[in-house]
Amino acid sequence: MKRIFTISGLVLCCFFFINAAFAQNVAVKGRVTDATTGETLVGVTVSVKGTTNGTQTDVNGAYSINAPINATLSFSYLGYASQEVTVNGRNNIDVKLLSQNNQLAQVVVVGYGTQRKVDVSGAIATVNGAELSKQPDPNPVSALQGKVAGVQIINSGAPGSAPQINIRGIGTVYGNANPLYVVDDVWYDDISFLNSNDIESMSILKDASSEAIYGIRAANGVVIITTKKGKGAPSVRYNMYVGYQHPTNLIKMSNATEYATLMNELNGPSAAFANPSSFGAGTNWFNVILKDAFTQSHNLSVSGSTEKTTYNFSLGYLQQDGSVAYNQYDRITARMQQDIQVYSFLKVGYNAILENNTSHDVPGDIIYKAYTAAPVVPVRYANGTYGDPADYPIGSVTNNPQAELDFYNHHTNNYHVSGNLFAELKFTDYLKFRTSFGGDYEQFGANGYSPLYYATTGQQNAVNSSLTLANTNTKKWQIENTLTFDKTFAKDHKVTILLGQTALSDQVYNETGTAINVPNIPDNNYLSLGDNTTRTVTDGGSILRQSSYFGRLSYSYKDRYSLNASLRYDGSSQFTQSERYGYFPAIGVAWNIINEDFMKDQTIFSNLKLRASWGKEGNASVPTNLTSLNINNGFVSNLGGGGSIQPGEGVTTLVPPALYWEKSVGSDVGLETGFLNNRLTFEFDYYNRKTENAIFDAPILGSIGLTSVNGAQSILANQATIQNQGFEFTAGWRGTISKDFSYSINGNLSINSNKVLSNLSGSNAIYGGGNAAPGGTFATQTVVGQPIGEFYGYQVVGIFQNAAQVTGSHQPNAQPGDFIYKDVSGDAIISSKDRVDLGNPLPKYLYGFNTNFKYKQFDLTVDLQGVAKVSVYNALEGLRYGSENFPEYFYNNRWHGDGTSNTYPSVNIGSTANSAPNSFFVQDGSYLRIRNIQLGYDLPSSLTTKLGIHSVRIYANAQNAFTFTKYKGFSPEITGSGPTGQGIDNGVYPLYATFNLGLNVTF
Amino acid sequence: MFYYKNNFIKIAGLASVGVLLLTQGCKKSFLDVPAQGQKPSAVFWKTPTDATMAINAIYANLREWRQTAFAPIAVESMGSDEAEKGSTPGDSQYMDDFDTFTQTSGEGQVSDFWNGQYASINLCNQAIDSIPAINMDASLKSRYVAEAKFVRAYGYFRLVRAFGGVPLRLHYPSSGAAFNIPRNTTAQIYTQIEQDLTDAASVLPQTYGSADIGRATKGAALSLHAKVAMYEKKWSDVFAYTTQVMGLGYSLFPNFEQSFRIPNENNSEEIFEIQCPSIQNNGAADNSQYSQVQGVRGIASGAGGWGFNVPTTDLVAAFETGDPRLNATIIFAGGTTAEGDVIPATVTNPRYSYKPYVPFNIVWYSNQGEGQDVRVIRYADVLLMNAEAANELGNPTQALTSLELVRARARAGNNAVLPKITATDPATLRTAIWHERQVELAMEFDRFYDVIRQGRGAAVFGVKGFVTGKSELQPLPQNEIDLSAGVLKQNPGY
Repeated sequence: MKRIFTISGLVLCCFFFINAAFAQNVAVKGRVTDATTGETLVGVTVSVKGTTNGTQTDVNGAYSINAPINATLSFSYLGYASQEVTVNGRNNIDVKLLSQNNQLAQVVVVGYGTQRKVDVSGAIATVNGAELSKQPDPNPVSALQGKVAGVQIINSGAPGSAPQINIRGIGTVYGNANPLYVVDDVWYDDISFLNSNDIESMSILKDASSEAIYGIRAANGVVIITTKKGKGAPSVRYNMYVGYQHPTNLIKMSNATEYATLMNELNGPSAAFANPSSFGAGTNWFNVILKDAFTQSHNLSVSGSTEKTTYNFSLGYLQQDGSVAYNQYDRITARMQQDIQVYSFLKVGYNAILENNTSHDVPGDIIYKAYTAAPVVPVRYANGTYGDPADYPIGSVTNNPQAELDFYNHHTNNYHVSGNLFAELKFTDYLKFRTSFGGDYEQFGANGYSPLYYATTGQQNAVNSSLTLANTNTKKWQIENTLTFDKTFAKDHKVTILLGQTALSDQVYNETGTAINVPNIPDNNYLSLGDNTTRTVTDGGSILRQSSYFGRLSYSYKDRYSLNASLRYDGSSQFTQSERYGYFPAIGVAWNIINEDFMKDQTIFSNLKLRASWGKEGNASVPTNLTSLNINNGFVSNLGGGGSIQPGEGVTTLVPPALYWEKSVGSDVGLETGFLNNRLTFEFDYYNRKTENAIFDAPILGSIGLTSVNGAQSILANQATIQNQGFEFTAGWRGTISKDFSYSINGNLSINSNKVLSNLSGSNAIYGGGNAAPGGTFATQTVVGQPIGEFYGYQVVGIFQNAAQVTGSHQPNAQPGDFIYKDVSGDAIISSKDRVDLGNPLPKYLYGFNTNFKYKQFDLTVDLQGVAKVSVYNALEGLRYGSENFPEYFYNNRWHGDGTSNTYPSVNIGSTANSAPNSFFVQDGSYLRIRNIQLGYDLPSSLTTKLGIHSVRIYANAQNAFTFTKYKGFSPEITGSGPTGQGIDNGVYPLYATFNLGLNVTF
Repeated sequence: MFYYKNNFIKIAGLASVGVLLLTQGCKKSFLDVPAQGQKPSAVFWKTPTDATMAINAIYANLREWRQTAFAPIAVESMGSDEAEKGSTPGDSQYMDDFDTFTQTSGEGQVSDFWNGQYASINLCNQAIDSIPAINMDASLKSRYVAEAKFVRAYGYFRLVRAFGGVPLRLHYPSSGAAFNIPRNTTAQIYTQIEQDLTDAASVLPQTYGSADIGRATKGAALSLHAKVAMYEKKWSDVFAYTTQVMGLGYSLFPNFEQSFRIPNENNSEEIFEIQCPSIQNNGAADNSQYSQVQGVRGIASGAGGWGFNVPTTDLVAAFETGDPRLNATIIFAGGTTAEGDVIPATVTNPRYSYKPYVPFNIVWYSNQGEGQDVRVIRYADVLLMNAEAANELGNPTQALTSLELVRARARAGNNAVLPKITATDPATLRTAIWHERQVELAMEFDRFYDVIRQGRGAAVFGVKGFVTGKSELQPLPQNEIDLSAGVLKQNPGY
């Protein structure tokens, strides 16, 4: 295939020549207006086709241009379908441009190109940048929450952290479960470095046939991001907001008196606290470590286009403080874009993104530490020293969270240079060659310093200060060549053929150095300042290479029938020789019923389209360096005693059996309808996606004595085949009540069900969720016929009230106040055989409800979003090792004597028997959130014109102001760990609401 | 127009050449990338240095958390009458489950113990599998294999005492079929342990040069073999092996208390000792938490430790009046150690184990007391095994001689205490030897299984909830049974 492609390229360029006409010029004038509203359009690009000659419409929508008498004029404008008009000797040509709300004019970004919406046969959702930047999220992906049917976004509250995305359920699951992001031709796993203000649009490819052209990496879905290009008259834009974040849904913890009471109950007759009430309310540690956090964003851009070039330069600054004291995230982004029409047949251009972010981090478990910290301990004693947990009769909780924060010194500094250079050669009107060379260079630096200090008995560093410097460099390049043939034959037969080739290399190198006794001088941290005899350096890295060829054929007839077929051939260095290459085919058809002759006279439908598609895609997101057996050199022996040490090496990992491509096969059937001139739209999709031979870690027997490469006692393999099946509904309504008052309402609902079709281990379960109980007992199982990673454990039927009840029970070792488990097996003894399925961590329903109201200069946006029918394992309640604090609801509800509770256990909830995975901890994770409320005001143009400003908008915004949920933990949004560890809450960052005031000015 | 055309062709030509080059570049070799920053096993097991490194890893691994910290406390100590959980009452209450014999198969310490032993056995298995093929000095090669066999035997001995018959793994698992294997019988495990120890004793040297202190010796293999034989009640073997060890030049260190301190590590009495270094800024070396987890809790300077596995009043009462070993085995709150550390009366627990104690002025880097070696077998143990075997074999004279050696050292020249035992009646003498083991080896993780092998579990531990027929063994980890899909069967009563 590659040879054919190369030859065709050569042949094409050898046989190409240009026809040009020399002709007499005429002056053409006219006005450009919106075809529906009649509004004049300012800044429309008017150019003479086939030349570099062009102009733009002025404030009155008027233009004038010199053009050959038989020339074709091209009119293009953002948000409108381009139009071409032949001059035919006329001097006055008025043009009406169709807004792209019109189905025929709408263009959708698809893999390696664009397609008219009518020709699309897959399920692709498009969200424009304006919609995204309404949400003050540092990560543009977060803003998608609730906007698109079938797309689940799980946001974490930690500043700068990337959300988890599941497109149409959890399918491909190992490691990086994120979709593939394609930004200006370059592939990324994460787009935290992108500023929402720089995004023109996001296309979310949801079905297998649309994704399959990205074969190798498509199985998690594909998000294509188009960045902004300059268009029209020069404009300077300044967008800013300033606001604060307020932690919400905090758990009310027991106060000091309640805590002391609980500890006395836990510790038995020895009653450690003689007089619990003497402690009063004590310390509310959340109040100590959490605060309202300041946030601000500024974005300045200059953009525009001239006859031959488009340009867009922007500079952005974001500061996001964390809700935890000291936590701060700062980001500076710069973006440059230019396209230059060098010749009529050659366009070159570039997109460049420069980014720097810095963070002052807090310990990852600080929220957990504040949750567990004893309220009897003061932040500081009267003499100013830290409250020391060791001064109280409490055991395992040896931290004063304030001291933890005060002496934690960890910063990161991250640089990104990213972008591409491209050239487009137009051989003829219908044949185009495009080459793009892009890449990403990232340097991530982390700096951790532990000074000499004494805070409390358990928090001190008396011996050596230590400095750790870590650097990670990522060097990625990617080249892409495509040849596109696009021609309409005999008026009705539109054919598009795409051939392409791409190759990429992704190299990561990291090194970590440590030194001790480095003097504590801020901003002067060098390893060389420390002891030279004990400095250490370790390093590691990975190289990933991929090489691919692909092609697509699109055919459409009379805007009624269309067919898209694609094939990709991919090779990846991650797989062994024999399993290295894969083929990924796809096919889709669409029928625009609305354009049929028999629909001409009906008045009900304004759009009616049926589409169906099928595709196969791959997942290569497994670690590099996986398939060779490596040596662990982490051993140091001490033979000879004293200070003599020797290096040791051994094999401690199990090499996975030959891994092969995880393939995802999906089909999709969709129906799109529009009524009342498309003011009312409905879209419906059914999908069925099968992830074959999904690669993930599954635990292995401890007696093998080996771990997987990541250190867990598990092995990576093609473990299971998983099916996600579901429906998506999207409805929209645009209404106008009067000239001044219009509104729109959009809703979406997705229903997904996940089922395991087969397991590598046959009828045996794959277990997971060992992080849910203190003893590490598995809390999930994956069995054929059930959802992946369903919760698994004992069914709680009550609480033992007294010793007599225990005596006659199936749990002879129980204590009063312990859970009574259901004897499912009926053998009159509670044993591992009594464990049952306890719930599904994967949500059945996702929904979003987005509204927009506009009255004169005011507009109001209200977005709601939610998840229903999902379970969360509230592991935090049972992950106890001793004297951790309890939530107040536990204190209020607990069993503490015969008859006090038949639902909540005694204070001994952390015992191995009570914390064994069971139904008590499985809680409803449904929630409904008021995701965004925004009230805006546009200054009237009469005023702005006087001020010499194009437009001014001010707005107030409340994001995540309210979350309604029955869930008892911090947040029902749990980013899971792997497919078999979804929905286990063992401590997450609390939710927060953001309140902003913003200003957008365009000059 | 020609201007345009020429340039166009040039550019198009260049672009096409670029494509051509790229596609040519994308041959197979582009996708062949060696593992980065990792040493592939294909280059391991080739040189004598590789063999040395593999054996070093085995010794290094012996001091890790699962080998010397919480898991042994739970599995090998909590069931006994000499120790209890310690720390604050609410801290790590699962330890109490082991004390009251109510532990379940979901206990993290049970799986830690299991997994830890098998991790060690894996390192031994691969050395035993692979070192023979390395081209190197023949005697060093056989010694390395013998050292690995000693450590493997030690691992299986700890497993068989804790769980009974366990899956017997003697090789690095080469295929999926070797992954899930059923339990072997207790007898089969003992047979393998004895075979490994016989092999080891026939090869290992009696002593090493100073640079190799800490390696398994012939004496270590024989002593461990004697102990294994004692658990199997093979008294003539116990007698034979201990007699051999007694001819190897070991002697009791004169000062009982001092024999456990860091300056006296690897003294004349130590037969096998796990070497634990304290090295600045070397986390892989400073990883022993043996002393830390048992250290005095509540010392403001941060020295001491977490205060787990503390001596009981039963143990205090077990010492004969005036036995100097009492104050060398137990640190009492409100007292002062021989090294001069004042233990405030306000520390968390009334008693702490003295044997893992590291004086507070000794600097530590990662973990308190990280430099304290773990004594696995002491000569005193060998003498007491010799005494017990002699008694069982009808040789009270030898029994009393060996017993007296231990008591004489303990007496430390004070003849007013610890009178010489003179009883020759086998039952009385047996009781005396058992008692001597209880106090001499107290807090050394010997007591619980000693009582079990004596068949006195219910008699001694019954008050704590010991259930005959169940509590002798730990439950197999539930995760392990789940993962075996029923191939592994649980121990009775769990």
